[in-house]
Amino acid sequence: MAHVLQFRHALALVALAALLIFWTQAGYFGMEILAEIAVFAILAMSLDLAAGYAGLVSLGHAALFGFGAYMFALFTVLWGWPASLAVVLATLATGAIALIVGAVVTRVQGVFFIVITLAIGEMGYEFFFKNRALGGDDGLSGISRLDLSAIGVDLNDPGIFALFLIVVAAITYLLLVRLLASPYGAVLTGLHDNPGRMRALGLPVRTYQTSIFAFSGALAGFAGTLSAQHTQFITPNLLHWTTSGEVLVMVILGGLGTLVGPVIGAVVLTLLRHELSNVTDYWGFWLGFFLILIVLGGKNGIVGWLAAGWNALRGARPDDDQAADEPAEGEEASDAAR
Amino acid sequence: MLADSSFWIVQILNSLQLSMLLFLLSVGLTVIFGLMNFVNLAHGSLYALGALVGFTIARATQSMWAAYLLAPVIVTAIGAVLYMLLIDRLRSAGPMKQVLVTFGLIFVLLDVQKYVWGTDQLGVTSGVPFSGSIEILGQIYPAYRLFIIAVGVAVFALLYLLLEHTRLGAEVRAGVDDPETASCLGVNVERTFFVVFLIGCALAGLAGVVAMPEFSAEAGMGVAILVPTLVVVVVGGLGSLRGALAGSLLIGTTLTFGTVFVPQFAGIIMYALLVAVLLVRPAGLFPARG
Amino acid sequence: MKRRTALALATAVGVALTGGLAAAEEYKVGVLLPFSGVYAGLGAHIENGFKLGLEHFGADLGDNTITTIRADTEANPGSTLAKSKKMVLQDKADVLVGIVSSAVLGGMRDFIHNSGTPLVVANAGNNDMTGVKCSPNIIRVSFSNAQINRPMGTWLAKQGKKKVYLMAPDYAAGHQMMEAFRKTFTEAGGEIIGEAYPPLQGTKDYGPYLTAAKATNPDAIYVFFAGGAAITFVKQYHGFGIGKDIPLYGAGFLTSAAYVHVQGEAADGTVASLHYVPAIDTPENKRFQEGYQAAYEGKLGSEFAVQGYDAARLIIEAIKASGGDKAAFKAALSKVSFSGPRGPLRIDPATNNVVQNIYVFKNEFKDGKIVQTVLDTATDVQDAPNGCAM
Repeated sequence: MAHVLQFRHALALVALAALLIFWTQAGYFGMEILAEIAVFAILAMSLDLAAGYAGLVSLGHAALFGFGAYMFALFTVLWGWPASLAVVLATLATGAIALIVGAVVTRVQGVFFIVITLAIGEMGYEFFFKNRALGGDDGLSGISRLDLSAIGVDLNDPGIFALFLIVVAAITYLLLVRLLASPYGAVLTGLHDNPGRMRALGLPVRTYQTSIFAFSGALAGFAGTLSAQHTQFITPNLLHWTTSGEVLVMVILGGLGTLVGPVIGAVVLTLLRHELSNVTDYWGFWLGFFLILIVLGGKNGIVGWLAAGWNALRGARPDDDQAADEPAEGEEASDAAR
Repeated sequence: MLADSSFWIVQILNSLQLSMLLFLLSVGLTVIFGLMNFVNLAHGSLYALGALVGFTIARATQSMWAAYLLAPVIVTAIGAVLYMLLIDRLRSAGPMKQVLVTFGLIFVLLDVQKYVWGTDQLGVTSGVPFSGSIEILGQIYPAYRLFIIAVGVAVFALLYLLLEHTRLGAEVRAGVDDPETASCLGVNVERTFFVVFLIGCALAGLAGVVAMPEFSAEAGMGVAILVPTLVVVVVGGLGSLRGALAGSLLIGTTLTFGTVFVPQFAGIIMYALLVAVLLVRPAGLFPARG
Repeated sequence: MKRRTALALATAVGVALTGGLAAAEEYKVGVLLPFSGVYAGLGAHIENGFKLGLEHFGADLGDNTITTIRADTEANPGSTLAKSKKMVLQDKADVLVGIVSSAVLGGMRDFIHNSGTPLVVANAGNNDMTGVKCSPNIIRVSFSNAQINRPMGTWLAKQGKKKVYLMAPDYAAGHQMMEAFRKTFTEAGGEIIGEAYPPLQGTKDYGPYLTAAKATNPDAIYVFFAGGAAITFVKQYHGFGIGKDIPLYGAGFLTSAAYVHVQGEAADGTVASLHYVPAIDTPENKRFQEGYQAAYEGKLGSEFAVQGYDAARLIIEAIKASGGDKAAFKAALSKVSFSGPRGPLRIDPATNNVVQNIYVFKNEFKDGKIVQTVLDTATDVQDAPNGCAM
């Protein structure tokens, strides 16, 4: 297990280094892309926490992301609160909503969980779509960024802002690694691997699931406040289920339950989208095509492939490969059946 | 208006029409779901293909009847190719990968539709059967809507007979109930799944071509219909014909009367109903299994 | 090849006429349209029209040249903002053109306003973008939501319709269109006796709404629907036999040239208002329609194609008027006026919105197809500044 984690941390370092190198080369557009990648990396990591570790595959995660963005805009644009306070409160408010939603949705499992989170997310989408005070479907503009001029940082500079987001994403990664290494994290992993045994051990499974859903939601809301500051304009589309679908794709494409996988997924999907759409109007075709190819490969996303490649290079035994490829297929299959 | 009995009759017909369209869409999906735990998010894309292929056939042959017959066949053939290329490999892959591959398939099929049929709205205006209107208690009602209701009822009856009175039906029921025991007892679960998958494709194609004269056809129409279909399947409970019918009727009726009485909530009423049903019955109304 | 020779020839003539004084400049135009997603159809129409416009009026450029770069906006404000920043800051585009969705326009608005680069809006109709949120850098050559519906309120009241029922999808544009109609209609003595706003997405089943609307017994029903929703709505209106008692009126997207042939007989008798109808009988429109149909498989040029066509011409006219002086080009954009397929149009210096004719037209089903004829023309329709201060 230990060398698997080492491998993932090494990957995370490589990803961070690649982003930083790209940052030194990037023009205006590159900075926008980097900022987008960093925001989605945080969002995808938050979803991985729920889906990959606690087995709560949500198709409504973008609604929490969008909710955080709207709360940030509400607090700063409409109520005139300082941005720093708004980031904290919007994150907490999203966490509170996620706690309530989590307490309800963890009553159902598998496919039902996917669809009930989709339904609740769509209700959130409809709410902001119709809310004229918050701009309705035309969106809300005039959002400003955190003011860090006291420490000599100008976030209105696209380059600085992109670097800021990359650093925030890196810190988020480190904090989540710590969380997962804690006893709480061990319970989470157990929940995913074998909920039945956890229940038998007398653990309040649903309480744990609800708490991780709330925490994951708060983190998604935090990503939302960053997204609102990045584009400085938000629309209800942030909450739409297709956005949730994209984030889920990032998580699974990168490697479910690996934490670094979602980051890589965010990088790959965002770049692929922008690069392909430059080349062809039928970029969706190729995006879908690559997605299918990678999944059909049978490994746990890109991280699974990289681990297999690394092991092959080292000439390692095949069972190492299996270990790097968690969660194993059988466990996933049991999610929907239970 | 609320005291007017013809108003109510027309609204009941409206809700039946919507329910039957939802039924055609969801029944294939639910049986695939129930039989193999297989989540086919691309089901809506097959519906769109049914409408688009139907359009091409109707334009070429000047006959909607040819389209009704051929479009489901062609969609089934496309489904068979997809099965052999992708679905078969995903059988044991677990729901996550199925969700992802069929999500990818949505993108692929959408662009294929755009490439072949363009991005304009398409439709037929001549040669459509039942294109007139009839009078019910002094209210004019589109005959084509009654036709959609009739198709839905006929499909339900056929499927009921198929499930309850044929060997395939027995195998499907056994497979849904307990796939392991069924295969021990000599049921070829794989073959059953293949056949059920094809029936699901044919029904999605049929729904598309039947809806086309009323709703027009365009690339992308399958994405919009996916969510209501998923909601119906889940509300009804996975894997059961009865569930698909109950779910369709419940959602169709709620949507219709919801728009009459609480129009301001028309957009969320379906979702609220889903949440309510799942909280009372976490596996839907009539799940095929326990 | 032949076209290039023609262009070179025309250019030579142009140079000869101006004595070869005009400086040869290259103008970079960034085209921002949806090529994927729900608005891909509109994006295709606008781009087709834009290309045709460059072809028809390219000779007016003189020695100057236009190069285009394009990007897919989908319906995504976030990525469109990134792409417009790329075009403006990295590619150094001289002007941007396009934008179908009002939400996407909203996302770009502040950036465009603060940048020095003008944006020619070729669709998005949100009133506010040439009202309270107007900008010297945002020039709209398409329409505003209010502009299309305002004349119809007065016109319908004049036809003796006193009680009208309103219906539109429940989103910002739907409400803006209905509000504009309501204002002029009630000012002219009409009364709104009911209204309904079905969800924009969803099952597109208008049966329940139609049954309820009919029960209020109005003189007319006035609606706005577009695209697939418009086709379904018109067919259902016809199928429920409502048209026999209650005539259907609407914003002209209801029976757009882009899809009225799909509605067929169901559109018979519908009267609507729009800034362009293919039936307009002018040499400019004839040239446009002939060129369009020759280039695009005989398809009728829609109002969206005209918006792209006129956007191209607007840019070319501004280049011509500023004589290759890039600094003067930006200011020239909002001073352009010409007669295009939709008749005379000019940009209002107070709001940068287009001032144009609005046509009231009727759909009639004759010999197996829909024929559109212009019943009335509201000339020179101009939006009030609505809080716009340049």
